[in-house]
Amino acid sequence: MTPVSSPSLSMAQCTGLQYEPVAEIGGGAYGTVYKARDIESGKFVALKNVRVQTDQNGLPVSTVREVALLKRLEQFDHPNVVRLMDVCATKRSDQETKVTLVFEHVDQDLKTYLERAPAPGLSPERVKDLMKQLLSGLSFLHSNRVMHRDLKPENILVTSQGQVKLADFGLARIYSCHMALTPVVVTLWYRPPEVLLQSSYATPVDIWSTGCIFAEMFRRKPLFCGESEMDQLGKIFEVLGLPPEEEWPTDVTVSRKNFPLLHARPITDFVPEINEEGAQLLLQMLTFDPLKRVSAVKALEHPYFQDEEPATQTESLNQGVKSAAGGICV
Amino acid sequence: MSNVELSSSALERLVARRTFPLHRRTGVCRSLFGPVDHEELSRDVKAKLREISERDRQRWNFNFEADTPLDGDYKWEEVPEEKSPAFYRDCVQSGRTPATPVKQRASSDCALPENPIVLERLAVPEGSGAPCAAEVNQENRAQKVYSGRTSRQLPFTGRKRSASADGNARITEFFVKRRRSADKKTNETSACHLSKSAILVEQTPRKRIR
Repeated sequence: MTPVSSPSLSMAQCTGLQYEPVAEIGGGAYGTVYKARDIESGKFVALKNVRVQTDQNGLPVSTVREVALLKRLEQFDHPNVVRLMDVCATKRSDQETKVTLVFEHVDQDLKTYLERAPAPGLSPERVKDLMKQLLSGLSFLHSNRVMHRDLKPENILVTSQGQVKLADFGLARIYSCHMALTPVVVTLWYRPPEVLLQSSYATPVDIWSTGCIFAEMFRRKPLFCGESEMDQLGKIFEVLGLPPEEEWPTDVTVSRKNFPLLHARPITDFVPEINEEGAQLLLQMLTFDPLKRVSAVKALEHPYFQDEEPATQTESLNQGVKSAAGGICV
Repeated sequence: MSNVELSSSALERLVARRTFPLHRRTGVCRSLFGPVDHEELSRDVKAKLREISERDRQRWNFNFEADTPLDGDYKWEEVPEEKSPAFYRDCVQSGRTPATPVKQRASSDCALPENPIVLERLAVPEGSGAPCAAEVNQENRAQKVYSGRTSRQLPFTGRKRSASADGNARITEFFVKRRRSADKKTNETSACHLSKSAILVEQTPRKRIR
């Protein structure tokens, strides 16, 4: 309830609600998810409840806007975005309205998908296909002026047919506060430098996160696992090197001098399975300066994705031959 | 090339956002639509809400108030949270702090862009960002009646841009009416409040009249 007191709290999204809602958990069906099969279509839906704190003005304007936006996006029926079938609001009290979002139900997210992948991990084709879908979904959101802001494997659903569906966007401001209900701390691992530094940010944030996820698909473990904002930045610079002074944002309090002068290491040291084009694209996504970072549309045009049809067969044969230097060139 | 498209639409939106609250503030508060029967209004709104929740209930054969499944086309089951992707878990949003990082404001206020690319990119957080308190306006008041059933608004907002269901469409509506009844004046303080609620009175029943 208390408005975030200081802009310097980078976990501003959630710290404000850390304790307040816990008292309210007792009531509802906390701990379970309602899921249903439509006997006509055979498709599954699931309910996601969002409890919205209200005041005398009712639902916050931002919530109403987000719902309107989600509904508008829904009309495009994008294959890489989770279907939102309905939004139902129920007034709980003068202080709380329950907004129930009816979504299509997908069995697993990318996190589980990666965990369940058998031993050698995902094939390079699988990674490429997942990335292509992820970027299509993202470019759709971005072209509709929607920033995800919290892209991570848990927010990326993967159907049993291998279709990628982005979730948790738009209303992300609502959704991302899982922390309010669970003791799990919101992860910093997919956060771009501009957010960690509390500089201004926009759609390039999602590209950074996508880059981290790209690397993780090969590694099957996260690329940068920081424990605090500073630690996270440190981990990033250990791999990518400390950015030059002129790239350091001017509107931030954290000085570049706080970090050791590190040089970039070859990205293939960290993602050995990636091929040359993939590594190139990965570095374009993990570019420190958000304005120089590749956009979703441009990323899809990258040569990494341009080899599909003729190469697919040979490539899948090559799969087993893991080149340590990322040498599979197609 | 898609960059060009984006930046022009982003600009449009920026313009719309910047000018709308200005318009609102320049006018003196008046009772634009005459006195409001608050009891009638509240009855109408409650009836509408009941209607909506009844439809939700039937569509999904689920009682959203009691969180219990009903018989019907959907076969509901309760799944333990751990067996479902984290995304579907319940969560809480605080009404007063719509979890928008404070630094986001900085991006739209201070870091204003000189080049088109920056402009395009910075326009994004503005567009999807949470509005400041001053932005609470008729556009949003009207929406609230439907508690999220935004599709229901299309009948009267959709004249100009039906598919986009955008706030801007409603602005037109607002100003048309304002001109029509602008000569009615009452005292200013209560009028300010009245004009807001009046939108509800005007718009909610109108669908039945026409």
